[in-house]
Parts: sequence; structure tokens; C-alpha cells
Amino acid sequence: MSSRQPRILICGDLVWAHEEARQLFDGLADIVVMDSPNRADFLAGLKTRERYDGIVGIYRHNISADRIGVFDEEIIDALAETGTVKWIAHNGAGYDQIDVFRCAKKGISVSNTPGAVNDATATTALYLVISCLRNYAWGEQSLRQGTFKSVLNPGRAHDVTGRTLGILGLGGIGLRLAHLVHAFPMRVVYYSRNRSANAPEWCEYVDSVEGLCRESDVLSLHVPLRDETVHLVGEKEIRAMKKGSIIVNTARGKVVDEEAMIRALADGHLSSVGLDVYPNEPLVNPRLLEFPQNVLLPHMGTENQDSQRRMEVRALTNLRDFLRDGQGNDLVPELRSKL
Amino acid sequence: MLPRVLLCGEIEYVQDECKKMFHGIAEVIHLVSDSRSHFLSSFGPGGPYEGTVALYRRNTSSEVVGKFDAPLIHALADTSMVRWIAQSGGGYDEIDVQACKERGILVSNTPRANEDATATATLYLMLSCLRHFSMAERSLRSGTWKTPFNAAQTHDVTGRTLGILGLGGIGLRFAHLAHAFPMRIIYFSRRKAESAPDWCEYVSSVEELCKQADILSLHVPLNPSTVGMIGEKEIGTLQRGSVLLNTSRGRIMDQEAMIRALEDGHLSSVGLDVYPDEPRVDPRLLTFPRCTLLPHIGGESAEAWRTRELQALGNLRAFVLGGVGEDIVPELRTVIGNSTTL
Repeated sequence: MSSRQPRILICGDLVWAHEEARQLFDGLADIVVMDSPNRADFLAGLKTRERYDGIVGIYRHNISADRIGVFDEEIIDALAETGTVKWIAHNGAGYDQIDVFRCAKKGISVSNTPGAVNDATATTALYLVISCLRNYAWGEQSLRQGTFKSVLNPGRAHDVTGRTLGILGLGGIGLRLAHLVHAFPMRVVYYSRNRSANAPEWCEYVDSVEGLCRESDVLSLHVPLRDETVHLVGEKEIRAMKKGSIIVNTARGKVVDEEAMIRALADGHLSSVGLDVYPNEPLVNPRLLEFPQNVLLPHMGTENQDSQRRMEVRALTNLRDFLRDGQGNDLVPELRSKL
Repeated sequence: MLPRVLLCGEIEYVQDECKKMFHGIAEVIHLVSDSRSHFLSSFGPGGPYEGTVALYRRNTSSEVVGKFDAPLIHALADTSMVRWIAQSGGGYDEIDVQACKERGILVSNTPRANEDATATATLYLMLSCLRHFSMAERSLRSGTWKTPFNAAQTHDVTGRTLGILGLGGIGLRFAHLAHAFPMRIIYFSRRKAESAPDWCEYVSSVEELCKQADILSLHVPLNPSTVGMIGEKEIGTLQRGSVLLNTSRGRIMDQEAMIRALEDGHLSSVGLDVYPDEPRVDPRLLTFPRCTLLPHIGGESAEAWRTRELQALGNLRAFVLGGVGEDIVPELRTVIGNSTTL
């Protein structure tokens, strides 16, 4: 075994936390930056044990997929084959770009950054809720096109206060959004696989997705993308919603059946949608742009200076804790019972 | 013959309620004038508005008859029986209330009807300015995804300091919504608000407010003492990179000073729902991509509309029946005395 320090790999550049990284790993590990321009080079680098030799843990950000693709079976197996990589600290709440079941099989742990995104993402969802209900995006478009408010119909705009927000998935982000809308107040109803022990008494549990849809004026999605959540909201669920309802999605594009959603916009069943995510980013279905009342953000849910810094530090801390104590805090749920 | 109530600007949402409210009490008539001069000469014997004792007024009526300035108020006082003007909306800056006071005409507005809606609009503007949401949307719609967006320049809401100028109904409601994050809330009003919650910190001057606020939001009415209240000096006192929000009236700000501050980056962005000369928007405002600009729709929801109309009509009805309505504007409250609800 080499006498030098173990090494950690930064896979997806740090923007803010360079100093924090130095401090966290001082005396624990050397920091190596992944500089492969493509997957082939990365895999070769792992195999030949030169640039990427002695890596015990990886800090990963989705931006790395631009160069080496997602952490699928091929990459996980290559990481496992090094014999040294034991932890992937993902920066992000959604980790659908990592095949966590393959990791489990190969004895590699995965952590994410669940709490750090809650506030920023919930704020994005709140913005979408308000903008859809009040037609603000439409209003600003009209102003910028020189028609001030003349194209708007105030009868289509509604107060936030008193309307019902349906939260699909009352995890950290859903709960934070519930808290922010409770200030108006909106009535909050939710569905989760299990009734939430943390939920305040003003969060009313509904026992099915369809039931949630029936109750909601605005349906906001806060479930992670997994096999069982693809198209969780489809034709049946959308049609169960009241006419004139709104869907807000800051989770993952594929949780909604986009075709069904667009049909419902076209026939007015949905009055508008507020989206931060799309099934195939950065491509946006041009049909969504045909509806001026839609509020469409380019996946910026978590991104601001303050949250980005926090997320980097959290992921790095998970990695440091693994090195120092053998375990990071934010092990993903799928692996908690397995490892 | 029943007294008459003239609608200067149409009722949009509560026509049925309006009929019921005035049935047997007053005849509701509509504006038929297409010019100010016609309007001014129509209240006398034989004129279309003869017998009118009270007016319902919307700002849209100024397109035809102009603002309710001193000459118009004098004409009403001299040639008509109109002694009550019920403004629909919180802002009544288009009515010369001093002239009304001098000539014995009372004015009411609808102070609470817009509170929630306007506070919500202000919250929206703040989120959009801090996080550059509006700019990102425009980028997406023009096909460039998030290319112009630089997360490094955007910020969380939580923990920032919100400075509220004027802790009236709307200011307080906005403070309440912001407090949910939480934000640190500081405010300046002419008088310290006795009923302010303890998390609203009073500061003793506009200058102090500007020194400490990351975001400055304007919630004072427009009147002679507030015109241009936020100008070169006040904007200069804000920290570099601050955000300015205005959902009150455009002329409370010195627009030229604001634009200069945007040009040199002293203000990182502004969130506006109001402009000095609506519906005209200074084209220079459109050149600052991070700004969020709404076309005075802060009070525009179906619910706020109904509330506003019902409240204004209610003021009129109370006047017709009992000689006094609620919601008399602050400047005229001392005219009535103790019998008035304040």
C-alpha cells in the first residue's frame, strides 16, 4: 500500500468551496481534480492507475456528466475495480444520475445533500405557484412587448390566500414549501408513501395521488425520480384535478407525463403550469412555449450563491466524515438498510 | 325621485350585487361623457347626471374626464349635489383631497381590499430580483436556456434584511410573508407602529432604513410629501448591490436617479409594478435584464377586484343611507369627528 495520503477526486468543478475543501481534507487526503474530456479517457485513467490512482472517495456534481456521462453501471464497475473507491459524495438532492443499486452491489456508498437544497428549491416552487396563480409571467411578457396589461384578464388571476396547495411528497423540500405558503395561508394537503411524522397538524394527509389531485388547486411535485415515480402524474391523475388547476414541478421532468399535461393545457383543463424541470433538459418541448400563461424556468431550483456554497460544503463534509469516521451523514435512503 | 349614484368607470365583477345593494335606495347611472367638458357640464338641471349625490370612481375614468384635480372638484362642488367620492382602490392620488376638504366633499378609498394581493405581488418581485427568475424565464423562452444566468450573483431570501418604507396594511402584510423565511424586517414610518409585531424593528429615519436594508420596499401612499421621496441621496445610501421594490406609486421614486444607479450597478436590480406615467414604461428599464417589471397588476386578482368593488359600493350605499360611509381617507377624517369609524 502506498505511504502517501489517500486521494479524493473532484468530479465536477467546485465553484465556491475551494478553501473549505483544503481545510476539510488537510492531513486526511490529497485532492485530485477529474480533468478527463470524455468517458473513454476517464475510464482509461481509472484502469491505468496513474492520474486517478489511490482514490478512496469522489465528490460528484451533475455537471461532470457533460464530459463523462452519468454514473451508470459501466462507470460504477470501473470505480469498483480500482479496489479503493468506497464513497461517492454527490452534490445535489436528486441523485438519479447515479446507479445506486449497482453501487450497493459493488460495496460503494453514496451520499447526497438533502437539506441544503430545501430552502432554495422551495423558494423556486413558491415563485412558480405565485406566478401561475396571478399570471405574472404573462403580465411581464405583455409589458415587455409594449402592451402593458391590456392582454390580461384579471378574472383569470387568483389570490394565493385560501387556495389549496397539494404537495406530492412531503420530504424536506415539500415541507419547506408548505411552511412558506402557510404564511398566507394556503390550505395544505399532501400525499407521501407514508404519513409524515414531522408534518404539522395543518398539513392534511390524503391517502392517494388521485385523491390529492382532486383536492388541489395547485399541485406541486416533490418526489425524487425513481422507476416507480416516472409518470406518477399522468392522464388519470391530471383529469382528476379540478378544471382550471395548476401543476408546479421543481422535482424532475419525468415525474409528469408531459404529453398528458400539454393536452390538458390545450383544452383548458389545466389553466397553467409552472416548471423548473423538463424530461430532456436542456430541451424544452416547444408546445409549452405556446401558452403565455405558463411559467418556465431553466432548472435553476437550487442555484444561488448561498445555496451553492452550502451544498458544496455539505457534500465535501460527507466525504470528509467518511474518511475520518468511516461514515458520512447523508447516506442515500436506498443504501441505509443495505450497507 | 331616488338620489343618483354615478359610476365613473364600470363595475366589472359585482353587477348583480350592485343592483341589489341600491335597489330602492338610489338610481345607479353610468358615465356617458366622452370629454371632460361634457362631464363638467352635465350635473345641472336637465343634464344626464342631474340629481347625482355620490360618485364611484376608478382611475380608468381619467382617460375620459381627466384626473379629479382642483378645477374638477370645484365644478362638482358648484354645479352638483355630489358630496361623496368612493374611489375603488387603495391609491387615491388622482383626487385632490385638499380641494375636496375645502369644498365639503368627502372621499373614501378601499384600503384593505388590495392588501393581500399587493403584498403578494411585492413578494413575487423580491423573489424574482434576488434569484433572477424573470431573466431566466425570458432566456428560456428565447431559446438560450439559462446562458445569461450567473448563479454567483443571486441570493437566498432567508436571512437577508428587508427594509419597509411605510408599515401600513400592505407593508405589514408583506413583512408577514417575508418573515416566514425568515428575513430580518426593519421599517420606517412617520410614526412608530404601535401594533407592529416585535420582529419588525423600527429605525428612526429613511436614511437608516437605506443603510441597513439589502432590499428596500416602498409602501407609502403618493401625496405631496412623498413625491420623489426616494431619490439620489437615499439610493446612494443603500449598500451597493441592493434591490429596490415598488408596488405603490411610480412617482415616489426619482426614476432618473434609479436608472443611473442601475447603470452603474449600485442597484443590482429593481422590481416594479408601478411607473411614473402609466401605461408608459421608460424603455431604458427594459435594458436591465435582471429587473422584474409588472404592468400594475399588484391588485389584480378576481378576488381583490370583487372585494374592492363591493367595498367602494358599500361606502357609497352607507353615505346615501346615512350621510357617511366608512373608509374615509386619512386626510379627511378630522372633518367628520367622533361619529366616523376610523
